[in-house]
Amino acid sequence: MCEWCGCGQPEEHHGHSHDHNHSKIIELNKSILEENNKIALKNKEHIEALGAVGINFISSPGSGKTTLLQETIKRLKPRTKIGVIEGDIETQRDAQRIREQKVPVVQLTTGGACHLDARLVHKGIHQLEHELDDNNLNFLFIENVGNLVCPASFYLGEHKRVVLVSVPEGSDKPAKYPKAFIDADLFIISKIDLLDYFDFSIDEAKKEALKLNPKLDIICLSSVTGKGMDEWINYLLNLIKKE
Amino acid sequence: MHELSLAQALIDQVKLLLKEHNANKVLRISVEIGPFSGIVIDSFEFGYYALIKEEPSFIDSKLEIITPPALYQCVFCGRKFKEDELTKDKRCPFCKDSFLTPVGDGDILLKEVEME
Repeated sequence: MCEWCGCGQPEEHHGHSHDHNHSKIIELNKSILEENNKIALKNKEHIEALGAVGINFISSPGSGKTTLLQETIKRLKPRTKIGVIEGDIETQRDAQRIREQKVPVVQLTTGGACHLDARLVHKGIHQLEHELDDNNLNFLFIENVGNLVCPASFYLGEHKRVVLVSVPEGSDKPAKYPKAFIDADLFIISKIDLLDYFDFSIDEAKKEALKLNPKLDIICLSSVTGKGMDEWINYLLNLIKKE
Repeated sequence: MHELSLAQALIDQVKLLLKEHNANKVLRISVEIGPFSGIVIDSFEFGYYALIKEEPSFIDSKLEIITPPALYQCVFCGRKFKEDELTKDKRCPFCKDSFLTPVGDGDILLKEVEME
């Protein structure tokens, strides 16, 4: 073995310039997220096998994801079957809020990780199946960890990705966090009941988001007053009509 | 800090390659990080070098990061151009419209691995 570099080829020696011309270069062009994306596609098949449409909710902490989910469940529960996967760094609090509505729910705690990935959601779907009386759902809502940056990089196998920005956060959010909007299908501007109290321009938020993603659908709503909720519920019901 | 998860995913992927090619040492890894990937390069590098401390076959490896320029498309005229071609007030260099949308490249790619 070569005493210089441990290459095991003393016979074809190389002058020890350490240019190591016996090393091997492998060209790949492969996404580092490929493994995640493969599992995500399996998740998608799994969600479809349950008969459901998967929705991934992404936003900063405190944008009203859980409250919107509660209000959505209230309106959809009488006519559809819903399952929920809650992602949080710690605690069962969000799952508890959903469980009170008597909907099957699984809490995934990432234990510090700032996002859900496909592997965690894969586990979550299996756990959720234990909570279902028959393996049949219309909607699988996945509430990601509150974070507008990291969750955007991880496809979970959802059919639609929803990004929320609430009025108190400011209308510059799309411009400041572009990745979350580039890959989203729907942009929800939440807490519009607070428009009078904050300097939030719906036009600016819409314009900046559409620049990043011209195909983005946009809905403005308030979970508290119910304004805009009909449009959101119709958006969801149309998804299961098409499926 | 999803950069740490991504660095771990990179190391896992390269480990499989080492096995596949009967190699036992990584010399250089070349990664391309798209301008719209939302990945902080410094954090990614920091994560990589922190994680390889536990990986004997990576310990002397060099991480090379390629950052292609951001590409935009004008929604109005449809033409594509690089970020440095924009006008001073960030408009389309051809038709001067301001409605510009980023094109692709939100991914992180493993381009090349040198091993022995």
